[in-house]
Amino acid sequence: MTTYIVRRLLYAVLTFFGITVATFVLIHSVPGDPITFFMGRAGLNTLTPATVDALRKEFHLDEPLPVQYLHWLRGAVTFDFGHSVIDRRPVRAVIFEKIAATFQLNFVAFLVAAGLGVPIGLWSAARSGRRAERASALGFFLLYSLPSFWVALLLIRFFSVRFDLLPLFGMVSDYHSQLSGWDRFADRIEHLILPVITLSYAQLAIFARFSKSAVTEVIRQDFIVAARAKGAGPVAVIWHHAFRNALIPMITLFGLTIPYLMSGSVIVEQIFQWDGVGLLYYNAILARDYPIVMALTVVTAVVTLLASVLADILYGFADPRVRVGEGNE
Amino acid sequence: MKDPVSSRAGSILDADERRAAHRRTSIIARVIRRFAVLLAILLLSFACGRDERRAEKPTSPQAVVDDGRPQDGGTLIRRLESDIVTLNAVSMVSIYDRHLATLLYTPLVYLDQDLQTIPGLAKSWNVSEGGKLFRFELNEKATFSDGSPVRASDVLFTLRKIIDPAAEAVQIVGAFEHLDMARTRVLDEHTIEIAFREPRATQLMRFNDVLVLPEHVYSKGNFRADYNHTAVGSGPYRLVKHDPGKEIILERREDYWAAKPPIQKVILKIIVDHGTAWNALKRGDIDESRIASDVWMRERSNATLAKTIDFRRFYTFSFNFISWNTQNEHLNDARVRRALAMCIPIEAVIQDLFHGTARAMSGPFTPDDYAYNPNVPPVRYDPEGAKALLASAGWRDSNGDGSLDRNGRPFKVDLLIMSGSASTAQFAQMVQAELKKIGVEIELTTLDPSVALQRIMSGNYESAYLAFELDADPDPFSILHSSQVPPRGQNFSFYRNPEVDRLIDAARTELDRSKRKELYWKIHEIVAADQPYTFTVQVSSKWALNRRVRGVEVSRGYGLFRWLPGELGWWLPSSQRTHDRPAK
Repeated sequence: MTTYIVRRLLYAVLTFFGITVATFVLIHSVPGDPITFFMGRAGLNTLTPATVDALRKEFHLDEPLPVQYLHWLRGAVTFDFGHSVIDRRPVRAVIFEKIAATFQLNFVAFLVAAGLGVPIGLWSAARSGRRAERASALGFFLLYSLPSFWVALLLIRFFSVRFDLLPLFGMVSDYHSQLSGWDRFADRIEHLILPVITLSYAQLAIFARFSKSAVTEVIRQDFIVAARAKGAGPVAVIWHHAFRNALIPMITLFGLTIPYLMSGSVIVEQIFQWDGVGLLYYNAILARDYPIVMALTVVTAVVTLLASVLADILYGFADPRVRVGEGNE
Repeated sequence: MKDPVSSRAGSILDADERRAAHRRTSIIARVIRRFAVLLAILLLSFACGRDERRAEKPTSPQAVVDDGRPQDGGTLIRRLESDIVTLNAVSMVSIYDRHLATLLYTPLVYLDQDLQTIPGLAKSWNVSEGGKLFRFELNEKATFSDGSPVRASDVLFTLRKIIDPAAEAVQIVGAFEHLDMARTRVLDEHTIEIAFREPRATQLMRFNDVLVLPEHVYSKGNFRADYNHTAVGSGPYRLVKHDPGKEIILERREDYWAAKPPIQKVILKIIVDHGTAWNALKRGDIDESRIASDVWMRERSNATLAKTIDFRRFYTFSFNFISWNTQNEHLNDARVRRALAMCIPIEAVIQDLFHGTARAMSGPFTPDDYAYNPNVPPVRYDPEGAKALLASAGWRDSNGDGSLDRNGRPFKVDLLIMSGSASTAQFAQMVQAELKKIGVEIELTTLDPSVALQRIMSGNYESAYLAFELDADPDPFSILHSSQVPPRGQNFSFYRNPEVDRLIDAARTELDRSKRKELYWKIHEIVAADQPYTFTVQVSSKWALNRRVRGVEVSRGYGLFRWLPGELGWWLPSSQRTHDRPAK
C-alpha cells in the first residue's frame, strides 16, 4: 500500500511541474502583457518610457522566458507567488480571500446537490423504469441543459425583484455587522440561497442520474438476488448491499467534483457579485496578471491532483483488487 | 434502453416483491418529500425573518420639511463597476480610483461645472515666465485626515512622486513630463513655486490631478505597494473600510477644513454586472448607476419607475473613431480615407444603433468644446461620391467582378475591433455591408482590447475602430503630432502633417484661450480634410439615480463626478434616508 501511495504522489509531482510549465508558456504566449493592460486602463494616456521600463523590470518582463519561469518557481516553492500586477497586493492574500468566498458557496452547493441528488438517485434506481422515474429522468435532463445565467436571472426576477423575498447580490447585508447571533447566520443563508440554487441544480441532476445508474448496475447482480433471497429488507438491500458496491464510481465522481469547490463560476459570481475565484481568474487573464494566473493554476492543479490521488487511495481501500494489482507489477 | 433479461426478470416479480419494492421506494420518497417540505419551511422562515429585520429600518425620526434646501446627513450608496486598483492618488490607474481620490484627497485646483479652474488646496496662484512658473498659496486651514496641516512640502513630495517612474503615476505623469524639479521650491510653509522647462497652455488645469499626499505618511515603506488600501488625504471624506471586491465605506470628516458636503456617509458597492446593478437600483439597494443603453431606452418611459428613478443622459469627452494606418499603401491617400468615411451611414448608426442618443463628430474635438469648429461639417454619407473619389485615386472595377481593383489587386482593408461591445461589432458590420456595395471588402478582426492595442502600437494593422477621451481643454498632441507615433505616443494612424505639428506646438504654448481656439479650429479643419482618423460618433453616457438623491448636476464633459461640487453637492431629504439604521 505504501509503495502504491508513494508512486501515486510521485506521478502527481511530475504532473504538477508539467502543468505549471505549460501554463506559464501559454499565458506568456498570449499577445499582450501587463503593460498593454496598463495602457488600456490609463485611457490611452501617455506612459513615459521610464514608467514602462520600471514596470518591465519590476515583473522581470525584460528577461528571457526560462529565466522568468525560474524566478517564479523560486518564489513558488516557498509559497511566495509574488504580487498582483494590478493592485500590488500579495497574491497569496488575494487568493486566500477569494477562495474562502468561492469555497463557502461551492461547498454549500455541493452539499445540496449531493444531499438531494444521491437519495433521488437511489429512489430512481429502486423505481427504475416506472413512469414517475422516467418523468424525473426527463426532468433532470431538462434541468441539466438549462443555461445557468438564464436561471439566475429568472430567480432574481421572481425572488428578489417581484416578491422581494431574497437579497439581490452580495454575501451579507449592509447591516450585517449590526445583527446578532441567529439573525447574522440567517442573513448569510439568505444571501446563499439564490447562488446555491443556480450552482447546484445542474450538479444535482448529474448526481441523481449518476448514482441511479451506478446503483442500477449493482442491483442487477446475483448477490443482490441472493441478499433478497436470504430475506434482507428493501432498505437493507439498497443501502447495505447495492449502494456500498456502487461506491467506486461515486468516489470517482466526488473526486472530480472536489476541484470545482475551489474554482468559481464567472457567471454566478458576476451576477450575484459573489467575489470569488472565478471572476479573479477571468480578470487576471484579461489583464495578463501573470502572478495571479500562475498561482490560481497551481492551486487548482494541486487540489485536482490531491483529489485524484485521494480517489486512487480510496479505491485501494474500497476495493482491495486495485492495490493488489499495482503491487504485483 | 432496457436490457431484455432485466425486463423479463421484472415481469416475473411476484406481487409481494412489487409491494415491497413500492414500500422501499416510498420510504425514500417520503424522506425526499420531507426534505422538500423542510427546505420550503426554511426558505419561508428566512424570508419572514428578513422582513422583520428589514422592518427595523427606520423612517426618519424627525421628519424635516423638504423645502428644496440641502439637508445635512444621511447615507448614500453608489455603485462601482469594478473594484479599485489603488487608493494611492499618485499611482491611480482606473476611473474608479479617480472617483475615490476625489472624495479622499484635495487637488491643488478644482474644476467647476464649466470645467474652469477654481481654488482647491491652493487658495490662489499666479502664473509667470510665459506659463513656465506657477506660484501656489495653500489654504492654511487645510488639514489631512490624521489632523496634521497640509504644507507646501507635501505638495513638493507629491510632485516628486508623480515624476518618479517607480511610483507608476500612469494617469498623471504625461502632464508633468516637463516639470523642472531643480527650480521647483518651497517658499514658506504654505507657498510653493512649481517650474516647468516648457510652458503648456493647459498646465494649470492639470493641477486638478495633483491630489496632495502627506509626506510624513507616504514617505515610509514601499510607496507603490503599501498604500493601495489605505488613505490619508485632505479631502472631505475619510476611509472607514475597504472590503476588496465588495464595498468601500467612507465617512465625512467632521474636522473638514472647507465647506462640508451634506452627505455623511458614502458606501460604494462593487457590482460588476450591469443587470444586477439595474435591479439593485430599482429595489433601492443603491442610489446611482451607469446603465446600459438598451435598458435606459426601454425603461425610461415606464411611468411607475419614473416616480422613483431619475434617468439622466449627457455627453462626456469620449468619442469613437476609426484609425486608418496611413503607412498602409491603400490608406496613405487622403481621398481614399475620405471615400471610406463617406460610406459610413452615420445617421443610421445614430438612429438604429444608439436610438438617437449619440451625435456625429466632425473632427478631434467634441461639439461642446470651445475647440470645436462648427464650420466643419461631419462627413456626409454619400456612396456614389465615394465611388467617384476612389476612381480618381485609381480604384475601379476593371474586371467587372463587382469589387474595386487597382493594378490588378482588389481593394481589401482589415478593420480591427475590440471584443466585448455589441455596438462596436454592429457598427463594424454596418460599415462592412455599406462598403461591400461599392466594391470594397472589409475584413473584420475581433481582438481582446489589450491584444488589439499591442497590434496597433506596433503599427501592424490596417484600420481599427477605437474610443478615445481627450482632457478637459483638449490637447490633441498625443494623437495627431508626428512626434507621437507609436510606440512614443498614441498617434495610431502614423499621421504626419508639418502644418498640423506647427499648429499643435503653437497651441500648446499659447496661453490666450481665444488665440488657442483659432489654432484648434484650424487643426480641426485640416484633420477633417486629411481624415487620418474618421471621427464617427459621440455616444451619450446614460445614468439612473434614485430620486431621493437631490442636488444632482451635470458638468460639461465630466458628467456627474470629478468636478466641484459634483457629488459633493448631493443631499438626501431626511424623510427618505432608507439606508440609515438607528445605532443600537
